[in-house]
Amino acid sequence: MPADAAAGIIGAPVGIETLAHFSNPAQQKRAGELGMWAWLLTELLLFGGLFLIALVLRYQYPDSVHAAASHLKFWIGATNTFILICSSLTMSGAIMLSRLGGQRWMVRCMLATAALGSLFLVLKGYEWFADWQEHMTPFLPGPYALDGDTPSRLFVNLYFVTTALHGLHLTTGVALLLGLTWMAKQPDFLVKHQNRIEIYGLYWHFIDLIWILAFAVLYVVGR
Amino acid sequence: MSPLDNSLMDPPTPRVTLGRPADYLHEAHTLRSWFFTTDHKRIAVMYLFAITVFFVIGAIAAGLVRLSLVVPNGAIFTSDTYNKLFTIHGVVMVWFFLIPSIPATFGNFLIPLMIGAKDLAFPRLNLLSWYIFCAGSLFAVFDIIIGGVDTGWTFYAPFSTTFSNTWVVPALIGVIIAGFSSILTGLNFVVTIHTMRAPGMTWFRMPIFVWTHYAVSLIFLLATPVITMALILLVLERSFGIGIFDPTLGGDPVLFEHLFWFYSHPAVYIMVLPGMGVISEIVPAFAQKRIFGYRFICYASIALASLTFFVWGHHMFVNGESDTAALVFSVLSFAVAVPSAVKVYNWTATIYKGSIRLKTPMIYAMGYIGLFVIGGLTGLFLATLSINEHVHGTYFVVAHFHYIMVGGTVLAFLGGLHFWWPKFTGRLYPEGWGLISAVFIFIGFNATFFPQFLLGYLGMPRRYHDYPPEFQLLNIVSSVGATILAAGYIFPMVYLVWSLWFGKRAPANPWDAKGLEWTTSSPPPAHNFVTPPVVDFEPYDYPMETPGDAR
Repeated sequence: MPADAAAGIIGAPVGIETLAHFSNPAQQKRAGELGMWAWLLTELLLFGGLFLIALVLRYQYPDSVHAAASHLKFWIGATNTFILICSSLTMSGAIMLSRLGGQRWMVRCMLATAALGSLFLVLKGYEWFADWQEHMTPFLPGPYALDGDTPSRLFVNLYFVTTALHGLHLTTGVALLLGLTWMAKQPDFLVKHQNRIEIYGLYWHFIDLIWILAFAVLYVVGR
Repeated sequence: MSPLDNSLMDPPTPRVTLGRPADYLHEAHTLRSWFFTTDHKRIAVMYLFAITVFFVIGAIAAGLVRLSLVVPNGAIFTSDTYNKLFTIHGVVMVWFFLIPSIPATFGNFLIPLMIGAKDLAFPRLNLLSWYIFCAGSLFAVFDIIIGGVDTGWTFYAPFSTTFSNTWVVPALIGVIIAGFSSILTGLNFVVTIHTMRAPGMTWFRMPIFVWTHYAVSLIFLLATPVITMALILLVLERSFGIGIFDPTLGGDPVLFEHLFWFYSHPAVYIMVLPGMGVISEIVPAFAQKRIFGYRFICYASIALASLTFFVWGHHMFVNGESDTAALVFSVLSFAVAVPSAVKVYNWTATIYKGSIRLKTPMIYAMGYIGLFVIGGLTGLFLATLSINEHVHGTYFVVAHFHYIMVGGTVLAFLGGLHFWWPKFTGRLYPEGWGLISAVFIFIGFNATFFPQFLLGYLGMPRRYHDYPPEFQLLNIVSSVGATILAAGYIFPMVYLVWSLWFGKRAPANPWDAKGLEWTTSSPPPAHNFVTPPVVDFEPYDYPMETPGDAR
């Protein structure tokens, strides 16, 4: 690519506006990133409780869990995994462009990330709807497809709790991302707040990672 | 504005000044300046208000519980009322007083001062933590007082999910919300201690108080989310019958106990470790002697915070745990005694041959050491499988954890409150009253809880208010002790408030204590230090070279 073309995409100044209680931008950047890592550690243990219960159920009632898990829509889950991995790629692109000073394409990458996240939620919503149609919602009144198999209810309910909690995180993530994108469109954003993109990126990758774990634990193991 | 307009105005009145630099308390006076502050010191004071309110509520409930136990036949309250009373006591004291007590007040106030920072890393998040705490705790306290909950603070399934006919779900939601405040406070402390230390403030120059708060913050971050999840599942269990803890569907109520204690055992160290930090500051200052084995106390703090994650099973020795698991949890629980004992020996060795001044904080600290030893040793009894079988679920357990929670944490809290009161408020508390109340608390505490060891050993179960008449004498001794203890709590609430207006003005360093927080004025200015400190000295380099110089 010719140098002047590249200059049109990237190369704008990048920096951090230091807040009063920090002594320099490096300190502020480090604090923000460490804070997000600490939060993600907490989130990992939050989901960890659910993964632990899934493993306990698989150990206690292998046949019931197998029967319940084979009702899950594997291909929707797999497609969603692929979608989220793509969204992590676009988020990485946004982070890289924010470091290089390519504001316009950074915003486009962020919008693409939000779009992929929303697509995930749409597919997930469809999956829940299909579960409901197939009477795979034992926590609601009404018929249940595996009625004779009581312990299978536990696994299906756990599936709903886990995917709903992940969906909540993703919905929050998309909302925050759209807010951040709106801020990131402002002309002096990269000069003042480049670190916000990096910090937010950690969160987005984490939601992706949690889904990969949830997909493995709920859909894939013992399939 | 034109010169003409200017001439028409009143002559400017000079601003009222204090004759000294403005401190964080006098910087602004509006309510708005408090409720929207991001100053860690003001937020600490707001936490102090909030937890004092909860302490009073929890203490009143405790008083009513002790009142009920004066007679053996449960004639004073109905069984339902009694169950609700001890639930109020447990929920409020554990979740809304003990857990935030020292970290959210002293930790918030002192960590930036001790490491030479202007504020915590995330000041707005700190304010948000306070609002989350108040929202969750007020909601839960409203529910357990107006509606009433009878599950105890542990919310054990299946009683809480299937059988209890009280306001369990709203109370759970309140506790879940308040948990996020713990997480955010812990997050703020971890990041602050990692990134905000002054030049020269290396890890091994930090006061032990900061080390213990680092350890506590790790527990906040790693343990709290697990109970958040467990309590969310409890809410869903009760509302939708998801079955995970319901034995009729194949679920496992003991699984809830595992998840619950995976947090709630480490929570014991959330309550104890900050107290250990407070004692480690008070003891060297009032012995005027370098703390004994500084690095070992640091390592012991981290060791406690790590070991505590592997002992939760000792709460379920009789709840269907396998023999092997019980044995492993028993051994690991013994191991916790090692770092605890390291600290006790180190404080004792610090006091030994020191130039001891028996001021109020030191009285509290020495009381703490003695009571913590009793609480810790009875913990070893309880970790022994055969003895646990005998005293499980009795008043022996109640006495044991009150020796740790009240004899430990509350004494450390009060000791720290007196020690840093001049730094918080700029005023000295009246020493005579301080000593009197410390003695009242020590005597009242032992009179209340020592008989409970005997009661438990004789077989009186906890959570019953209908007991055999032969236990009445010891129960009356315990209730009388509780009134002495209550007097000991009421004195400081009066004289500390009195001292805000009438106490002597405090100098920067009234105790000849070492540490960065004593180098700035009392109370400190808005950003803590007039000139940013540079640290070129070791911690606790007592004795003070020129005693009384700073006064």
